[in-house]
Amino acid sequence: MALLPEQFSQLESLAETWALPTELQRSERRWAAGPDDFRRFYDAMLPVLDQVLDYLDRYEPDNVPEPALPLYRLALAFAEAAPHNELYDCSNTVPNSFDAHRFVAAHGEIRDR
Amino acid sequence: MAAAADQIKQAMPFTTRYPELGTGPLDVRPLIDPELFELERERIFKQSWLYVARAEELAEPGDYKLRRLDVANTSVIIVRDRNGEVHAFHNICTHRGNKLIPDQEAQSLGHTATHTLTCRFHAWTFNTDGALRGIARQESFADLDKSCLGLKRIHCAEWEGFIFINLAEQPRQSLVEYLDGMADHFAGYPYHEATVRLRYSTVLNCNWKVALYAFSEAYHVPTIHKGTFPSLARLEHTEIKCFGPHSTSGIYVPPVPGLEPTPVTANLGGRLRTSDRHRPHLELLPENINPDNRQDFQFEFPVFFPNFLLHLGAGNGYPGMAYFTHQFWPVAVDKTLWEGTNHFRPPETVSERVAIAHTNALHRNAWLEDTSTMEDTYQALASGVLEEMVLMDEELMIRNTHKHWHDYMGI
Ligand code: FES
Ligand SMILES: [Fe+2]
Repeated sequence: MALLPEQFSQLESLAETWALPTELQRSERRWAAGPDDFRRFYDAMLPVLDQVLDYLDRYEPDNVPEPALPLYRLALAFAEAAPHNELYDCSNTVPNSFDAHRFVAAHGEIRDR
Repeated sequence: MAAAADQIKQAMPFTTRYPELGTGPLDVRPLIDPELFELERERIFKQSWLYVARAEELAEPGDYKLRRLDVANTSVIIVRDRNGEVHAFHNICTHRGNKLIPDQEAQSLGHTATHTLTCRFHAWTFNTDGALRGIARQESFADLDKSCLGLKRIHCAEWEGFIFINLAEQPRQSLVEYLDGMADHFAGYPYHEATVRLRYSTVLNCNWKVALYAFSEAYHVPTIHKGTFPSLARLEHTEIKCFGPHSTSGIYVPPVPGLEPTPVTANLGGRLRTSDRHRPHLELLPENINPDNRQDFQFEFPVFFPNFLLHLGAGNGYPGMAYFTHQFWPVAVDKTLWEGTNHFRPPETVSERVAIAHTNALHRNAWLEDTSTMEDTYQALASGVLEEMVLMDEELMIRNTHKHWHDYMGI
């Protein structure tokens, strides 16, 4: 079964690994990513970012229905991953930074609903 | 002599407005001495007003917040009673002293539908206004005066929706007196509308003032944040002023010609900047913040003594961010719980939520840069090799905090 609406089928393989429900899970994915992971994600997502967000905007932010959740999670993962492409040379850490694993997202995760 | 004074004035235009602060170096010992840390518990943290909750966290009667205060060896319940009034109590049962509510987390929120709090140990029950309501098998206690066995009250007051407590028996000043000029300077912004709170925390192996001081200046920005915010390389840190133990300042970022925002920042940040709800709302700023109504205003940057920072950007600095806060909670001389919270207005659309996640991620990354120096600084200072630290003009807020730290400590 496809995770994403048909018009985004080119993102399907990305959704399989990046479309995770909680901020912590998405962070763990990010910390495990290599430069090519970041590049593939960015190069596929940036050209369709507007279409993805337009598609999602037909729903209320707290009421995204089950079938659209993977796309929503993918968009959140992209928002969190893109700085690694645009600023950190596709490294999975912020250069010269504190250990990200020690930072607790105490707000209880940016969730998908 | 006159020439030297002129030169100092020229180098330190902000600092020299406060002659009582001097221009000399600061002593390092307060940042590393375990005996002084023990005194700080009594003389700083049990004497000053401490920010502990936002009113929206206790929106409904029966809502409560639990806040661990290791520095005072206590934890605190802040609760809204059935009449809507907010109270603060020590989290201790007046029977034999069990914690009324278990407090594994540094802070947590809860709700009591019955407007009562019941101790797990022997089921004594208290009203949310602190009165002891029920005692199991009361007839077996001799001479019990229930009216004397209410929860142990802590002074508590609210300003602009920020709830503060004061652990002193009798606080020397009311909250507003304590806040001094800060009370007016920051008044009037609709803080209550920014109900989305994204909070990060970590325990840093450093003294609380090492962390506080690192977050009290912008001198570090071009070096520490060149990764995440290259656009801030030429920021202006100005309008620095002191109000008693507190201080505040303005951060402005003149546009850098040729430096365009990256594509995702342009897209997502742009969505927030053009949404009516999240766009820059300079018109909502209190009148003495960004007094010249500059478009390149980033945020107001204060230190509320002893451990609270309230950065007010009104959506004009980081896209969509109404304001953000820091707190530094001492645990031991070399251990500090740091908490940073980004406050946004709630998203109305999914794309706004995604854009908020992006601003939040960038800012969290900047905090990862900030916190990267603190343990190193502490370890090096703890060697005792450096007895004093020298400050430049824009490190004035550190100087002011340090001076008032000495005054509170009486040393
Ligand atoms: S200690 Fe709370 S009821 Fe006994
Ligand atoms: Fe910083």
